[in-house]
Amino acid sequence: VQRSPLIPEMATQEVQLNETLAHLKTESETLKSKLEEERAKLHDVELHQVAEKVEGLGQFVMKTRRTLKGHGNKVLCMDWCKDKRRIVSSSQDGKVIVWDAFTTNKEHAVTMPCTWVMACAYAPSGCAVACGGLDNKCSVYPLSLDKNENLAAKKKSVAMHTNYLSACSFTNSDMQILTSSGDGTCALWDVESGQLLQSFHGHAADVLCLDLAPSETGNTFVSGGCDKKANVWDMRSGQCIQSFETHESDINSVRYYPSGDAFASGSDDATCRLYDLRADREVAIYSKESIIFGVSSVDFSLSGRLLFGGYNDYTINVWDVLKGTRVSILFGHENRVSTLRVSPDGTAFSTGSWDHTLRVCDDCYFFIGIKYNQNLCTFNFTPCAPDKPPLSLTATHLPKYSNLKKHIYRST
Amino acid sequence: MKDGIANNSTASISQARKAVEQLKMEACMDRIKVSKAAADLMAYCDAHIREDPLIMPVPASENPFREKKFFCTIL
Repeated sequence: VQRSPLIPEMATQEVQLNETLAHLKTESETLKSKLEEERAKLHDVELHQVAEKVEGLGQFVMKTRRTLKGHGNKVLCMDWCKDKRRIVSSSQDGKVIVWDAFTTNKEHAVTMPCTWVMACAYAPSGCAVACGGLDNKCSVYPLSLDKNENLAAKKKSVAMHTNYLSACSFTNSDMQILTSSGDGTCALWDVESGQLLQSFHGHAADVLCLDLAPSETGNTFVSGGCDKKANVWDMRSGQCIQSFETHESDINSVRYYPSGDAFASGSDDATCRLYDLRADREVAIYSKESIIFGVSSVDFSLSGRLLFGGYNDYTINVWDVLKGTRVSILFGHENRVSTLRVSPDGTAFSTGSWDHTLRVCDDCYFFIGIKYNQNLCTFNFTPCAPDKPPLSLTATHLPKYSNLKKHIYRST
Repeated sequence: MKDGIANNSTASISQARKAVEQLKMEACMDRIKVSKAAADLMAYCDAHIREDPLIMPVPASENPFREKKFFCTIL
């Protein structure tokens, strides 16, 4: 069909619209540069420089303490229960399993109507789990004490997106769930009614991950997406309050620093980064030339000093958050590490992999001991690095034993 | 045809306006210096590092994933 030539009136209108658009785009660019200028003014030092005076951490040797076997395909997501012993995991095989990580027993199993269950989360009460994936939904399953009860019967459909569910998290209670989706949005839902409470628009592509701020620091959360952006949102207003765009590829994982003042991200660009919310900028990059595979999942240790990253090259790298150096590397999985979480009390961390398994790990430690009368005595529990003085210097040396040879031991 | 052109442009303009508003709002933020932010991050680490079981391990009796008995190797 031949397009008829525009009549002069229409042409003027179109030109005007284009001019307005161009004007707005220029204004946008100007504001962006100003923002960068303002951020740069406060960039007086690097985090790792300030951290030079901090004591080094020494060597870490991480060990797998439990291996959870039972999924028939790639493990895609996992979450800890607040009781510090149960774990929920979800897989490409369509199954969601609840494990007792101490005993490695499976306590519950649910078969979802779809494969690729990409997200799962434990409710704060420990009485329910949420999950979803290619079904574009997030469903909540109350956990029954009766092992024979069919969990699928009590399933509650809560969230509805127009593309896959990438992540989900309960807020401070079992009553609300936050979701992120391949449809480019995040959303907050009321579990009981399934009602949409707030939606969050701003990402220009799939949102892959989210994390809620620690409860003391207020109602915000951070999300990361395929648009390489990490956005911080106000949960009540739906407003994006801060945005960071320094990664060079998809952001697969975001996690708040325990104080709530910063968050870490892991990306397909093979780096993890730390963003400080009050300085409003990236303050550290955790990378090495030898690390070329993407990061799928990140989490902090309890104090925030260690950052754990699960990588697509099957390894886990452990970073000194302040100094920016790698302190340990853990092998064991036979395929990509897809998910990683530190336990609620910080004693261990769990990883899930495309090799169908989950592992629970913690670290070996070094300590100073004295051999006295064939017995090994350790006065006070004083961990140390194998070649460095103890991290905590305590007055453990009773005069009676001071002339005995001290050895450095490593726990198994 | 006329409406089509107008709609596309108005949608883009609406998006562009939102982007400008968003940037204006972000510009109003009170920021602190990196030196101060770094100091605070370090202070938090320092205050909590002794309770971090992955850095300062607790005795086996308190860590349920470990064996109860105490095994070690001399270096």
